[in-house]
Amino acid sequence: MLQFVIDSILILVVLLNLAMLATSRMAACIRTFSLQSLLLALLPIAIGLRHAAMPGAHTVIIAAGAIGLKVILIPWVLLRVLRTGEIHREIEPFIGFTASVILGALIIVASFAFAKELPLPTQAPTDLLLPVSLATLFNGLLMLVSRRTAITQVLGYLVVETGIFIFGLLLLEQTPVLVEIGILLDLFVAVFIMGIVVYHIRREFDHMDTYLLGELKEA
Amino acid sequence: MPTAILLIVVPAAFGLLCLVLPSPRWRLGAMVAGAWAHLGVVLWSWQEQLAPRNGEFFGIDPLGHLFVTLISVLFAAAAVHFVGYHRAELISQRVFLACMLALLSALSVVCVSQNLGVLWVALEASTLAAAPLIYFHLGARALEATWKFLLMNSVGIALALLGVFCMALASIGGGTDVSLSVADLVAHGAALDTAWVRAGFILVLVGYGTKMGLAPLHTWLPDAHGEAPATISALLSGAVLNAAFLAIIRAYQICVAAGLGDFAGRWLIALGLFSMAVAGVFVVGQRHFKRLLAYSSVEHMGILAVALGLGGAASYSTMLHVFHNVLYKGSLFFIAGLLGHLYGSYQIADIRGALHRHPLFGVLLLAALFAIVGLPPFGLFYSELGILFAAGSSGHWWVLGAFTLFLCIVFVGMVTAILPMVFGKPGEPKNGADAAEHGQRWRYATMTTPIALLLAAGLVLASYQPLAVRHALEQAAATVAGPLPTAHVASSESAEVGP
Repeated sequence: MLQFVIDSILILVVLLNLAMLATSRMAACIRTFSLQSLLLALLPIAIGLRHAAMPGAHTVIIAAGAIGLKVILIPWVLLRVLRTGEIHREIEPFIGFTASVILGALIIVASFAFAKELPLPTQAPTDLLLPVSLATLFNGLLMLVSRRTAITQVLGYLVVETGIFIFGLLLLEQTPVLVEIGILLDLFVAVFIMGIVVYHIRREFDHMDTYLLGELKEA
Repeated sequence: MPTAILLIVVPAAFGLLCLVLPSPRWRLGAMVAGAWAHLGVVLWSWQEQLAPRNGEFFGIDPLGHLFVTLISVLFAAAAVHFVGYHRAELISQRVFLACMLALLSALSVVCVSQNLGVLWVALEASTLAAAPLIYFHLGARALEATWKFLLMNSVGIALALLGVFCMALASIGGGTDVSLSVADLVAHGAALDTAWVRAGFILVLVGYGTKMGLAPLHTWLPDAHGEAPATISALLSGAVLNAAFLAIIRAYQICVAAGLGDFAGRWLIALGLFSMAVAGVFVVGQRHFKRLLAYSSVEHMGILAVALGLGGAASYSTMLHVFHNVLYKGSLFFIAGLLGHLYGSYQIADIRGALHRHPLFGVLLLAALFAIVGLPPFGLFYSELGILFAAGSSGHWWVLGAFTLFLCIVFVGMVTAILPMVFGKPGEPKNGADAAEHGQRWRYATMTTPIALLLAAGLVLASYQPLAVRHALEQAAATVAGPLPTAHVASSESAEVGP
């Protein structure tokens, strides 16, 4: 039963990646990210429950930190910044929405094929963990390079981090709590500062298009 | 309290003080006091022989000790320089000064952390603390530079985190506990799973390489250095890039312990030479003074990567290069700030005849130019020579050739750009400029002092090296790649004068 829950969560995470690649409305994109983070925050608890009746303090702290920061605070910051602007839709991405969904699907297939070749020195909680982590990482990178509005780029960065978070679940019990909390805090402060910069970009250029941030280059 | 913790807490405490003090003057004073208090703790820490205890997050080993000392010296100089550079156009002086000290605190954590995870957290924190510093001059250009800096470094460092996890995974196979501690990973080096160490090193090199400014991941660097205030450019170049280099050295230590020194070395040399080549292309014909210096930073980071990649034979020269690069690059950016004030522009074409306009500034600029391109008697000459010897003696002939070629290209580019700035014919000074200059005398004095001191320190330590300095460099070098070859140690015992 638990195995089924864990696998379903991971499959949903991959599907939500594709959903984020497909949406043009940024608010919807941010909410999808929030949902994805919620699912992932439950994952360490589900993994922990397989070994013991009660999840350990370590997993609870990580899950609580992830819910507080990635499910609530970060989306709140991003939605607030979004509300200050007039642009609520992604404008003319470098790679169109249909094309990026197809690319994203190809990335997922490739990740599964690649993960098969990687010899894990440890027993993963589920075979899906490694391929889903790689797929999320590369889908995030795709989002990062194919979109032009600053907020979507921040989301792309967050999805990359999510992929690494899934990979980190392989080492869940071994990573010191201090390090994990530090990583989460860094992530939050990064998004907070990025939010401020995006706000200034909007005020300065009256839009959130990083494509026009092209003044600095070699003549 | 352990010294390592003190190094982190002192600047952080003064940073908080900057946030709460009511008057701008007091806040500026608190910033300077914080930087100098940090330097005091660092100098005091040299009294005792420190070794990190096993399993602790923070501890001072010879390598970290050297780096934290250099960073502290640069910060102390930058604090004084900033008092002269300081202007009222700040977005928020409170936040700006607090961020400067937060940056110092984060970089201290990088230097004293003995755990790859803590090191990662601290390096990311330093990115975040530096971002508001770049946005000093406000406006579209500074905004663009800040955005690029923030996004590229955050994504790059995220990849490095994946590399850190890979290295931790590598330690599972050996039957020991999974660990992120550098000492543990090095001690169990032989038992590490080499496939995962390889993957981890590549990811760490790409990730921290972005932060260090290795080509082709350097594109944020000239923008950030060009748009940031000169004092901050000096800190980015001398402190932040070197902290990222330290993080790469830690990963390299683990590779050497796992018997993958050659593998890691090849990648380092490749990226290093490519960085030098890219720097050469953009230095020649560069029109913006601070971007010129930024590309020179890319070049020096490339030199460091090559030197690290050459392994044990060049490890002493690597440390010597780090040492002198911090001093010279810092003073060069400080001079840029000074000339920016004097001429009101950073365009190379606008800055002409510094020697006529202000003889002292001209002499300092000339000295800093000689120092940074590696002319004797400045220290980079010896370190670059040492790297060339190491390349030759280990049979890396094509590395030696390419290294020399790129050094020459950058040399020509730097000299042709800066010599007219020193000797050229000065343009007509603007009306009232002299009067304005008169009232600004204290500004110029505060900005000149750290430049002169850094250059003098570099010059003296290049021609006469006290035993204490030599030991510090040698011990740091031994941490990187095991004990030095005996012949090298023998020659160093006999020659106390000269590096």
